[in-house]
Amino acid sequence: MEDILEKLTIAVKRGKADKNSPYPPDMKGQEGADELTAEALKMGFTAEEVLQKALVKGMHLIGEDFSAGKAFVPEMLMAAKAMKAAMKHIEPFFKSGSVKQKGTVILGTVQGDLHDIGKNLLGMMVEGAGWKVVDLGADTPFEKFKGALEEHPGAIVGMSALLTTTMVNMKGITEKIKAMNPDTIVMVGGAPLSQEFCDQIGADFYSPDPQGATEFLDGLVQSS
Amino acid sequence: MEHHYTVRLEPLGKQIRVQAGTPLKDILFPYGVEFPCGGKGLCGGCRVKVLQGSVSLDEEHKRALEKLGLKDPWRLACRSRVTGDVTLEIGQFDTFILADSSPFHFHPRPGYGIAFDLGTTTLVAQLVSLESGEVVAVETEVNPQARYGGDVISRIEYAVLQQGADELTRLIREKFAAMTGRLLRKTGGTPPEKILIAGNTVMHHLFCGRDLAPMASYPFETPHGDACRFTAEELGLPADHTEILFLPVLGSFVGGDILAGIVATGLDESEDPVILVDLGTNGEIVVGNRDRILCASTAAGPAFEGTNIHMGMRATTGAISSVTVEGGEIKTHVIGNEKARGICGSGLIDAIAVFLDTGQIDAGGRITGDRERLPLTQEVFLTQKDVRELQLAKSAIASGLHILMDRLGYGPQDISNVYVSGAFGTFINLTNTARIGLLDFPEEKIIKMGNTALLGTKMLLFEDGERVDRILRKTAHLSLESNPRFQDIFADNMMFMP
Repeated sequence: MEDILEKLTIAVKRGKADKNSPYPPDMKGQEGADELTAEALKMGFTAEEVLQKALVKGMHLIGEDFSAGKAFVPEMLMAAKAMKAAMKHIEPFFKSGSVKQKGTVILGTVQGDLHDIGKNLLGMMVEGAGWKVVDLGADTPFEKFKGALEEHPGAIVGMSALLTTTMVNMKGITEKIKAMNPDTIVMVGGAPLSQEFCDQIGADFYSPDPQGATEFLDGLVQSS
Repeated sequence: MEHHYTVRLEPLGKQIRVQAGTPLKDILFPYGVEFPCGGKGLCGGCRVKVLQGSVSLDEEHKRALEKLGLKDPWRLACRSRVTGDVTLEIGQFDTFILADSSPFHFHPRPGYGIAFDLGTTTLVAQLVSLESGEVVAVETEVNPQARYGGDVISRIEYAVLQQGADELTRLIREKFAAMTGRLLRKTGGTPPEKILIAGNTVMHHLFCGRDLAPMASYPFETPHGDACRFTAEELGLPADHTEILFLPVLGSFVGGDILAGIVATGLDESEDPVILVDLGTNGEIVVGNRDRILCASTAAGPAFEGTNIHMGMRATTGAISSVTVEGGEIKTHVIGNEKARGICGSGLIDAIAVFLDTGQIDAGGRITGDRERLPLTQEVFLTQKDVRELQLAKSAIASGLHILMDRLGYGPQDISNVYVSGAFGTFINLTNTARIGLLDFPEEKIIKMGNTALLGTKMLLFEDGERVDRILRKTAHLSLESNPRFQDIFADNMMFMP
């Protein structure tokens, strides 16, 4: 019985979206995250169980590999596709309230910057860890964060930047978010950033990789 | 105890002490000498005249010279090593069209011109006789702005966020005046007719004193990219009639240096579609022909220049510049024939290709087994992160080409030539470049051009402004990241497909 959850964990980690997907080549013809999730639910596993024991686990494993340099952007994106295929089946349970998400995370590449692959990787990891993700896209000004915060009170904000000339825009946005509500947690990330920069601009958390950010987020749930 | 010899280079007037056996290619490269055929001994572009002393000759070298119709005292730099004290004249500076096989119709005119390549890292200026096309004198210097950051983004940051623009403008103009002044000592007091300056968008703005703020953030489009004219007095040169012009920007980060590259490669006059790739930090790419040209910058990052690589370094003495496998054993070539201290971009590409073939790196870029390091010599090794950096850089270029070619409706088979410019391009092994998926074109289509910015600027000294205007009219800039499929294409191109 538990076997199918294990298979699903591997399908997510390896990025096998569905039976027809050619990636990864060595899993050709095998069932992917799509089919395995449907089957698991049919077999009587709750959506909560499928999410926690397979999807979250699979994303955690690929996240660990990414942190260690063993997996890279392409593998992460494939895993994200597999997870998306699985989430189609889980989403109705979120809406009905039978599965609780851990909270909401609002993500955006900061105003002036167009590079959003890093932010997208974080988004899939956070979603894969059981959070609701509101992705505001690239070149995101304060007003958009504000709108999203008003719609999702208590949400956590994550901002990314790839350039030293755009990361400075995080400062103004962080200040304005804190002025709205000093308790709003702001996470920052991106290639040119550092813990020092995070402290300087008054943000709450920095991580050089998405795994660190999901662990931070999960820590918030446990401590509350 | 190793032997050292003295090499004198004319007309540069430089004197260098090097170890016995050092390849001449390694010595001449930093002085802007180009190796059009990539150092295969085929084109004669790197020929040198032995004025004093001797350079020994092996059979292969002798045959190469015969084929090219060259006799004593000529040698091919790419085939030669230092075997004694020697004085050399660099033949290349006499004939200023290098790799372009089509005849260049230049109209001799009286006087002198100066072609200035104003790079982010290095500055090269050549004094050219407009009558003969000869290079009379050369000046090279490190860009004095480099202390405020190695790449264009850090220059923008210093100029815009730290209000350092005036300082950067002052530094570069002072250096420009000093280099020009030294060149003009060679003209016997004749002021030049023309000085043409080529540089990327950031160098253009900093030299011309234009506001860089638009280049600090999205959409990275500048309204100040037009050609910029100066009088001699404005730039601290003796007052005269000299026409001084900084070439215009093509779009976004793609500047006048690439415009000059288009001229140097003849891309704008080619019937068949061709590609120009600059393998530097900005990774500019151009695809097109005489009808339509698209350009983009690809944010390749500095991996090809050895930055962000654990043991990376520039292509200078002590850098592993190529890696091969012989009888299952890894062999390295070290620039300057010295002990390896690190690895430069061309060595990195070779090393990755070698490790892919030996299975020590898999198609996803992961180091196989439980190793953390892949040794090349006793001291120099690659890390997992190095492989990742290279994947990002090569995918940036490959994805950019993919998107531009797609937009113009070209497949790889439609492209007649791929011109590779940039210092780094000169050393690369084309088989390995294709192997790692950086430039996946048949080897015979790829032409290494060296410094196309300088070459094109020199060619423009002999033309009126018409050609530049024509290029500007048919060239459009494309923002790659705004392509909705960019992320998928970028991820696909990171893989190492066999």
